[in-house]
Amino acid sequence: MSDAAATMAQGRQRLELSALSAPAVIFTVAMIAFPVVYTIWLGFQSFSNTGKQSFAGLANYSKLISDNEFWHGLWVTIALYVLSLVLQLVFGIWLALILFHAKRLPGIVRSLFISPFMMPPVVAGMMWLVILDPSLGAANYILQSLGLPPSEWLASPTWVIPTVALIDSWQWTPYVALIVLGGLQSLPSSVYEAAQIDGASAFKTFQRITLPLLLPTIVTAAILRSVDLLRFFDIIYITTQGGPGNASNTLNIYGFRVGFEFFNIGYASALMLTLTAIVLGAVLAFNRLRGAVAW
Amino acid sequence: MNARMFAVRVALPVLAVAAISVEAHAADFDWKKFQGKTVTFLANNNPVAQALLTYKDDFEKLTGMTLKVDGYQEQQMRQRLVTVMNAHSDEVDVFMTLPSREGEQFSAAGWYADLTAMARNDVAKEYDPAGLSQALLKAATFGGKLTSMPMNIEGPIFYYRTDIFKKCGIEKPATIKDVEAAAAKIKACDSSVTPFVSRGLKPAIAYTFSNVLHNIGGSYIANGKSNLCSAKGKEALDTYSRLLRDFGPPGVVNYSFQQISALYRSGRAAMSFESSNELRTAMEGGARLKDTALMPFPAGEAGQVPTVIGWGLTVSSHSKQPDAAWYFVQWATSPAVQKKMALQGIAPPRPSVANDPEYRKWIDEEPVRKEWQAALDVLATKGSSEVGYPIVANPESREFIGQAVQDMILKQKSVDQACADADKALDALIAQK
Repeated sequence: MSDAAATMAQGRQRLELSALSAPAVIFTVAMIAFPVVYTIWLGFQSFSNTGKQSFAGLANYSKLISDNEFWHGLWVTIALYVLSLVLQLVFGIWLALILFHAKRLPGIVRSLFISPFMMPPVVAGMMWLVILDPSLGAANYILQSLGLPPSEWLASPTWVIPTVALIDSWQWTPYVALIVLGGLQSLPSSVYEAAQIDGASAFKTFQRITLPLLLPTIVTAAILRSVDLLRFFDIIYITTQGGPGNASNTLNIYGFRVGFEFFNIGYASALMLTLTAIVLGAVLAFNRLRGAVAW
Repeated sequence: MNARMFAVRVALPVLAVAAISVEAHAADFDWKKFQGKTVTFLANNNPVAQALLTYKDDFEKLTGMTLKVDGYQEQQMRQRLVTVMNAHSDEVDVFMTLPSREGEQFSAAGWYADLTAMARNDVAKEYDPAGLSQALLKAATFGGKLTSMPMNIEGPIFYYRTDIFKKCGIEKPATIKDVEAAAAKIKACDSSVTPFVSRGLKPAIAYTFSNVLHNIGGSYIANGKSNLCSAKGKEALDTYSRLLRDFGPPGVVNYSFQQISALYRSGRAAMSFESSNELRTAMEGGARLKDTALMPFPAGEAGQVPTVIGWGLTVSSHSKQPDAAWYFVQWATSPAVQKKMALQGIAPPRPSVANDPEYRKWIDEEPVRKEWQAALDVLATKGSSEVGYPIVANPESREFIGQAVQDMILKQKSVDQACADADKALDALIAQK
């Protein structure tokens, strides 16, 4: 076969493969693109309380600027995000180091350590709601048994964000630990041998070798958790519904209520697209960071 | 009240109710008329629907139709409904609705089919639409159109512990002031119990607060403006939030019916102001059966104006088979089915069922059931269905009422500040078309 004929045959084969895979590709792209495009379109619409719709231009976006509830929701979202992420990364790395070094830990104990993130968030929320009930819950019973004052936990405007961050961290720290554990297991042993020969202490080894080498893995875990944390919804919806008052009203909860309880789908779409932009911004920033710390 | 408002709020509902009161059922009514059809029912998975769906097979056998049930928790049911109705989809034929909450809104959006003619012309002999609670039919009538048929009757009632009252030397409270005095005495007499508990969760507050507001003599709207900063409005805000702040459980701002019933059932609350529907839950295990008494919430300066609501069954305006859907609505709200549901503890919206010998026998089995029925009778005769603002944006109005009460429970605002902030936001809602 001549080169030209071979090229033609190859081209035909590619065309056939493209034609065969085209429906699946088109379907997948449409499935992703349609909701996004539709939401963008909805963001330019105004909906009355009775669902009547009209074109609003950028009115929904200009309303965001003067909406105190939006800025409050943004603050709550960021506070919850930062607090939860720090807790999950710190304790996730710590748990991963324990699991990595405790080679003789029975499988059942390892499974128990990582089991919380396998629980549906709604179940976790319900469970913690009962535990943290100020009157009937186990948490205050334990505090009082130890002679400590009881707390209002989720019912206190001051403590609701740290409490929700703790619940989320209880659930998702093991997930971060699993990712970091994977990273630990892939670190080259030669650098540790060199450190041992040089007489480096355990802390120095962790500080100068383990942590820098783990940074790309930690950043990956941070990206994965950031996407979830900025869209914080389920646990808050189950435990506080954004309260007390609006103390835990994240952007996602606010957008949900505006859309599905107050029927203002247009403004809810604008809120959600703004939140999407924030999530994308965070992911892009972490991606840059990952590039910077790669080795 | 101007002439137009009179027509919309008074005359048209009366006419609509009167219209279905006429003895005009079709002589040739046939339950099998729509045999082979499938009716889709969007249900709220609450005790009312659960009791009804126990008899799903009976409906299918009687009509030859298939009932497809799409059941969710209340909030999720509304999400599904919003999606379906905004898409003008015919996926749902019948859905459950709370006229006191969303009636104005759904009616203005055109989501309800008009049931007036169906309830007049297409009814079985035994249906007796006039036997349904006239107050609930009126509450389900918007712009002269009957939009749903009542499934049950409910409202917040006052549960209190007779043993604790006796121990602390307290008489049965006759007024709201007595409730507060009783709470203070209980606090001093027995520190192990919570003197008073009611709803403190923001979106849930309007349900119980409205009763307090109306008993005190307040109103949500006066001269087209929000009226929370009136003397009566402020008194109601102050009284309700003070009861919860000074005598309620810690964390009451997260309390809705689940937490309230659990606290009362466990014996750790002396007085509870919660839904009549919670009787079964509060009495579960039998611990509270013998030491609980029930009544409507004690009177204020305007007497007793209890809150009364009921879930309704309605036909979707986008249903392609409204007549078949109506057959399901009719069966589900018929005297026979409502009697069966009543024996499961679902308070019937029909006086005839409430007086049925079999039901009376069930009621007479326990003194607490007798008091429950007596309280419901007061709700049925004296009740107001105004829960939150009687405007299209009623669900959103409940947020601002709840916020004002929570701000005061948490001592974040004075009553003047809380009511002024709420009135400002609510005036904007009232002005919305």
